[in-house]
Amino acid sequence: MPVFPVEEVSDMNEVIKRDTSREPAERRSDAALPAVDIFEEDNALHLIADMPGVRRESLTVEVNDNVLSLEGEMALEMPEGLTSIYAEVRSQRYARRFTLSHEIDVDAIRASIDNGVVHLVLPKKETHRPRRIDVRAA
Amino acid sequence: MFGDLRRFDSEWAPGGDWFRRVFDEMWPGLEAADIRSVPRGSFPRINVARTDEAVRVYVFAPGLSAEELEISLQDNVLTVSGRRDADAEPGEAEAAARRTLFRRERARGEFSRSVALPDGLDPERAEASFRQGICEVVLPKREELKPRRITIQAA
Repeated sequence: MPVFPVEEVSDMNEVIKRDTSREPAERRSDAALPAVDIFEEDNALHLIADMPGVRRESLTVEVNDNVLSLEGEMALEMPEGLTSIYAEVRSQRYARRFTLSHEIDVDAIRASIDNGVVHLVLPKKETHRPRRIDVRAA
Repeated sequence: MFGDLRRFDSEWAPGGDWFRRVFDEMWPGLEAADIRSVPRGSFPRINVARTDEAVRVYVFAPGLSAEELEISLQDNVLTVSGRRDADAEPGEAEAAARRTLFRRERARGEFSRSVALPDGLDPERAEASFRQGICEVVLPKREELKPRRITIQAA
């Protein structure tokens, strides 16, 4: 059972960094967590995230210190004078972070977005791919 | 804009979302719930807003196309239904068999949700558009329900 929010704090530096720069920290806590599917296929990890309203320009995918962060801003055109009656989506931003294992080839990560669904492909490094070992006859 | 709603949600507390979720899982159903409320994470999520001219419904249905989403309106109840299949693409089912799954949070399968809308809308003039996984339905108000200015005559 998850007892802590998914947003992990990786080390103390991070805590200090967050405290000193209050603004980005607040913005982060405002963001919604997108639902994700993660699976491994063909020597790569695939991450699929539901981020409706996000366009290519408003999506950021970053890897910093082995932490993958996925952030997006909902770009909704709304008319003037709109008043909310009922809302299940209360945030205009999405953010989620994951720690990566060392076998991921960070430089080879690819991202695409289609109809509000983000697809990340995180290939494994060449050295970490399974290889066949020939068994020689004795 | 939708952020303003937080003010009216007494249960809301900063960062308290995960906390409540954990407790909801541990002791479900002790409190009386609104009969129309839906569990967190129901798909698709829906927002409703209004302007002077119309009521606008936003349906957050990422990954679906306009053809895959069915929207109907009857007696002021708007129903959204459809099906989202993560493995629907050709060859996907076969590929899916080779996968090792780590997380599966995204909603899949058939869905149908209804929301009650305010009275006085004109369904004949309703319009819907689909962009970036969000379907926006605009339901204009009937003429007689639009706000109007009343001039005060001097006595």
